[in-house]
Amino acid sequence: MSQSEATISTGTLSLPENQDSQRSASPAPTLIQGTEPGASQDEAMFVHAQSYEDLTGEEEGAVPGSPGVEGAVESSSMEQISEDFSKLSTKLSSSDQETQNSEVRTDLGRRESIRSTGQEENEEGGLRALEAWYNHQKHVFVLSEAGKPIYSRYHSEEALSSISGVMMALVSFLETEKNAIRSIHADAYKVVFVRRSPLVLVSVSHTRQSEQEIAQELLYVYYQILSLLTGTQLHHLFQQRPSYDLRRLLSGSERITDSLLDLMDIDPSFLLGAVRCLPIVSGARDASSSCLQQAKAKSLVFSILMSRNQLISLVRRKEHYLHHIDLHLLFNLVTSSSSFKEGEAWTPVCLPKFNSSGFFHAHISYLSHDPELCLLLISTDREDFFTVSDCKRRIVERMEKRGCWGSLREALRSPFYSVAQVDIPELRHFLYKSKSSGLFTCPAMDVPYDTDEERRRLLALYQYLHSKAHCSSHHLTTIYHMGTNENILTWVTDAFELYVCFSPLATKSIATTGVSRLLRWIRKEEDRLFILSSPTY
Amino acid sequence: MSRKKSQKSKGSNSPSSCGIPPAKENGKVGSEAHTNGMVLSGRPSLSNSGEFYDIAFKVMLVGDSGVGKTCLLVRFKDGAFLAGSFISTVGIDFRNKVLNVDGVKVKLQIWDTAGQERFRSVTHAYYRDAHALLLLYDVTNKSSFDNIQAWLTEIHEYAQKDVVIMLLGNKVDSTHERVVKIEDGERLAKEYGVPFMETSAKSGLNVDLAFIAIAKELKHRSMKLPNEPKFKLHDYVKKEVKGSGCCKS
Repeated sequence: MSQSEATISTGTLSLPENQDSQRSASPAPTLIQGTEPGASQDEAMFVHAQSYEDLTGEEEGAVPGSPGVEGAVESSSMEQISEDFSKLSTKLSSSDQETQNSEVRTDLGRRESIRSTGQEENEEGGLRALEAWYNHQKHVFVLSEAGKPIYSRYHSEEALSSISGVMMALVSFLETEKNAIRSIHADAYKVVFVRRSPLVLVSVSHTRQSEQEIAQELLYVYYQILSLLTGTQLHHLFQQRPSYDLRRLLSGSERITDSLLDLMDIDPSFLLGAVRCLPIVSGARDASSSCLQQAKAKSLVFSILMSRNQLISLVRRKEHYLHHIDLHLLFNLVTSSSSFKEGEAWTPVCLPKFNSSGFFHAHISYLSHDPELCLLLISTDREDFFTVSDCKRRIVERMEKRGCWGSLREALRSPFYSVAQVDIPELRHFLYKSKSSGLFTCPAMDVPYDTDEERRRLLALYQYLHSKAHCSSHHLTTIYHMGTNENILTWVTDAFELYVCFSPLATKSIATTGVSRLLRWIRKEEDRLFILSSPTY
Repeated sequence: MSRKKSQKSKGSNSPSSCGIPPAKENGKVGSEAHTNGMVLSGRPSLSNSGEFYDIAFKVMLVGDSGVGKTCLLVRFKDGAFLAGSFISTVGIDFRNKVLNVDGVKVKLQIWDTAGQERFRSVTHAYYRDAHALLLLYDVTNKSSFDNIQAWLTEIHEYAQKDVVIMLLGNKVDSTHERVVKIEDGERLAKEYGVPFMETSAKSGLNVDLAFIAIAKELKHRSMKLPNEPKFKLHDYVKKEVKGSGCCKS
């Protein structure tokens, strides 16, 4: 095992290595440290403070009311919060009889309080709609510090104003004590708070995810909002008018956030904090990279070729590095809107991890629809559409001339390899992330994971094991999870993260030999599965 | 500034046209066509979509979010109606369509803009390149009509002085939900001296006409033949426009 570990760790990519050494502001190293075993020293019971800081250390200081007390929330104070919380919510739920009739699973006081506002309407249809509203697995809310609703994943405006009132009451209640609320646990529910002034992000969920993971998802939502507005504009708006209604500026963009949240439910990229590459013969990848590379322009910073949330190649300006969060946001932007499918689009986009104070301008165009192939050209100049559009033309011409299409099309037709190719007994699926490159690979989810339900279940299992492996108080490097439907071996080292799913018939020894064979296979296929070079213009 | 830009964009197109044999109307077009500094190539050029053209103009679609700008464009370009869910445009969307106007191939480079407020700064930057603006409101949405004045103010601030503007009241197929009367549109158009018509991207009513009228006007402006009568956009629109319902013949 240790031997294969050594081999894998040499399979590093140049891009993030440079990132480490050259761009100290880049969060990539902190991300590795944050997810790496032993990096966290926090004592907090419910939510690990490190999970906030590892993603946005620089903004932590901006949080008012919590100067330097991050992580100081002790379990006793959290119990206090829960108590106050339930008191508050019982006060709010005025009429209870009907609640008891219609609601069997009033396992969280807050749900009651929401329900009571719904009852005021006394409307059968409204109630049923609210019922469905409660049953969603994960709600996400974004509020302003003045308590104004900005975003709700499942909308329902009527319930929202009272909820945001309660949420803001909780947040400010703790802040007067110079403390910060992280999360509330009630039965199977987790209420997670993330404070990013001037926004408050709250998730109410009953999933098996850890608070850390939920907080990370909330941060993604925060970054999503930044990518639409820039941090500068956001702060400016609320500085001028604390009661500003941000929904006005975000209208029409909710679907981008909706799509991001949906994607996070089914795509392990976000869980792993890594980018998935399209498996493609390395020669063909290099050829398309060089086509991107040769079409340069003064204002061009990144050229990205992608297909359905998978990276094919990325060419960057020599001194600039893209963060995987920014890339995820770009992928989501492209896939969330069908308005890009025709013509050429030109849109401002802020890459918050790169620079949250300004907009880049993205030229988005599909080079092919079936199979999907999308080109993103990121420029610094708002007025440079025609130059960038010409770059696109040159890229297409060059790709035609060099005959890139054949191999590209072939690779796009089969974006996932079958796990059968790996040829390991009882192996069903796996996730492998190379930590140094920030890239990961996984096979197609074949039978029995060919239904949406089973896929979600498997991903939820991965999430659960991920949270176990990365738990702040007792991180684990290897976990062997035995379930009725599958056994999963989790192995986290400094160099990689591996989740291997075997059939329930697999024994531990089959799994261990299977894993070393798998690592050898990945090593052998690495130039197809990963991007091993980082071309610049 | 804007001239330079359009020259540049032409320049980027011309290399691809080098190997193309000149079309027959070449001489006529090339020699007499340098009035306005419009994008005008001596020989037919090849647009991005691979179609030949003699002359190119930039047309921009503007108006509130949800008035049907993208639907209007798709109807014009592909003859289809985008039914189903509402998809808001992100940023600006750029498409080409080549029209045949009196034997001259006119390429319209159409900018479909996002109506949302947060994209205003991007759209402003492209106003001054536009030769024509189609300003849309939704006849079933009063506030989109009320905002037309604000749009016109913005246009006057950012666009070129001689830009061709046309006011369109879209979605006239929804007769039951209509809240803006045709007279209201006409009055407003008259006040600002812009041609006006009601359209429906769903039924296709007047959609092609709007773009063709714009193309004709721009073509006449840029390459007026000596003894050709002046093209009158207002009259042309009045003559060609079709009514939306039974009451107007």
